[in-house]
Amino acid sequence: MTDNEQRMARAGDYVLGLMSEEERDRAEHDMERDAAFRDAVLTAAQHFHKLDLTTAPEPVPDQLWQKVSERIASLPQMQAAETAPASPSKPRVAANARPKRFGLHSLGGRGGFAIAASLAAACAIGYFGALATVTNPQPVVVVVLDTPANTPGAIFEAFADDSVRIVPLEEFTVPAGQTMQVWTLYDKAVGPVSLGTIGAKATEVRLQGPHLPLPKPEQLYEITLEPSPGSPTGKPTGPILVKGFARQPARS
Amino acid sequence: MDATSDDDLCTALLVRVARGDRASLGELFAREAGRLIAVARRILRRSDLAEEAVQDAFVAVWQRASTYDGARGSARAWLTTIVRNRALNMLRDGARLDYVDDDMLEHFGERSADAEAAYAALPDREALKQCLGQLDASRRRSILLAYVVGFTHGEIAADLKAPVGTVKAWIRRGMIALQECLS
Repeated sequence: MTDNEQRMARAGDYVLGLMSEEERDRAEHDMERDAAFRDAVLTAAQHFHKLDLTTAPEPVPDQLWQKVSERIASLPQMQAAETAPASPSKPRVAANARPKRFGLHSLGGRGGFAIAASLAAACAIGYFGALATVTNPQPVVVVVLDTPANTPGAIFEAFADDSVRIVPLEEFTVPAGQTMQVWTLYDKAVGPVSLGTIGAKATEVRLQGPHLPLPKPEQLYEITLEPSPGSPTGKPTGPILVKGFARQPARS
Repeated sequence: MDATSDDDLCTALLVRVARGDRASLGELFAREAGRLIAVARRILRRSDLAEEAVQDAFVAVWQRASTYDGARGSARAWLTTIVRNRALNMLRDGARLDYVDDDMLEHFGERSADAEAAYAALPDREALKQCLGQLDASRRRSILLAYVVGFTHGEIAADLKAPVGTVKAWIRRGMIALQECLS
């Protein structure tokens, strides 16, 4: 057997669940270091997952979610989290373009990676867990915003973590004492909700908005001109610079 | 809703779970628990054990969502992997299942039928189906019995009435051919 065949055979045993506990630990350890082996495992796993989708869903007992909830509530980190003060939900400009890191990721780099990997082995959870790295999610929706002249003026990408990446496509004239404010309308009953302000200069920026329901296709987004430091009423008051409706990105 | 948008929605929900949003975990559970119980039951046979596997898995998801890497596979695949591994661990943990051994033997035939049914249910356009279709029957069957119903080498050997060493070779050769076909 060539090295390549050896690797594929081993990836196969791993994905099929045919390894002993020690073999699996060793495989998960190797996946951290051996990119070719890791890719072989992930590719095979993704294809085999199609077999998992051939089942018809079965009835879920009423009390099952209750049991999950109770176990989660009794986890040590949950009790700590629930006594901690609530974090402010005020919109703010995220300094870092990456989503906020939580849990093991807050340890960062190789340290977090190694700890995640050893936890995965301890919990026998498996390879995706062992392959912890920073999540780099896809946007939930993408929006092309048009100017009143019907030319594309900006592109938004809205993410599940309530952040929005804004790419202006043209320069906007913002008079002194005014600012550009970003809005979305996810529910007509609620009205437009501010996602934050982006100042007077059009540059690429990522806003961390308030916690809202997941962005949906056809959801309205717009930028208006407002007095600094932002609309005095909490709703749009000035002229619309650009507006557009969300689309779901096509995925293969 | 098609599989792609289901995948996207699960991924979006999991990102929220990673941020400590328990309501999103509940939504994920509401959407996926029924399917995951079915996946676990193909391996464990019993509904109560399958439900236990899914319960354990969701607690694990809550604790570990921050380690999910969106670039390396869909959230649904990740979720299913956690459930499968939990179910396989329960199955291999002989002590817990001793009392159902007779039952397991009795259902041997039914289990291999499950594996064949899963293969038959794959859409024809799936690369996995096409590539599995190119393998000879004993290799294909061995691979399906391992993945779909969680058979060990020994159980596959018993089902196919072949020596364990032969079954191991079938699976290794089969998985190499399969991955070459899929790449």
